[in-house]
Amino acid sequence: MATMDFFTAMEVSASGLAAERTRMNVAASNLANAQTTQAAGGGPYKRKDVVLQSVDVPGAAGTQFAQAVRGVAVSQISQDAAPPRLEYDPGHPQANAQGYVAYPNVNPVEEMVDMITASRAYEAGITTMSTAVNMAERALGIGK
Amino acid sequence: MSTSIAPLAPIAPIGTIEQGGKVDGKDLAESFSKALADARGLEDRASEAAQSFASGDPSMGIHEVVIAAEKANIAVRYATTLKNKAVEAYRELMNTQV
Repeated sequence: MATMDFFTAMEVSASGLAAERTRMNVAASNLANAQTTQAAGGGPYKRKDVVLQSVDVPGAAGTQFAQAVRGVAVSQISQDAAPPRLEYDPGHPQANAQGYVAYPNVNPVEEMVDMITASRAYEAGITTMSTAVNMAERALGIGK
Repeated sequence: MSTSIAPLAPIAPIGTIEQGGKVDGKDLAESFSKALADARGLEDRASEAAQSFASGDPSMGIHEVVIAAEKANIAVRYATTLKNKAVEAYRELMNTQV
């Protein structure tokens, strides 16, 4: 709908909001599993991270700058390959022969930083969206 | 003595009134009904979004629902603005003093 080109900005911001929401979910998962010694597939939980990718905006197809104006999407959720944290705890059911337990490679400080990043990026997306809506409203008010 | 009365000349037409209002084959009614149709489509999408959010669709977040509603709001206001402008122009013409 070319008559509603402000919607393109709204769709781009919306894709960013969805990506930041996923980043938030991943940070929540990492924090919740910071002590998980038994994950699916064996071994301790491994820290997850989002990989972002620029994508076409559905509303911008056919417009002049369809190739330049891009939305964002999470292309995959990757696993951190860093080695697990080993702690000596021979009484633990998951302890190895030497008495060490492998704990997730999750650093809570890093996760807090990720969370703040997601929160600020989400706010920025909302601000972009509000500005686009304001511009559309101002345009509708021409001549009043 | 008599003077003959000359017949009155017929009134010459001043001009012709043509049916107008169309520019490039599009009139205001057409763009208004298109705007209304767009608004209706966006309203439908907004209510679909609200419905799937309420029924627990994990891909439907809060912001998707709010954005869909906001888009519908803008589209309705666009259609209303077009209507208001048309009515305003019509009233202006109807107020012409003769």
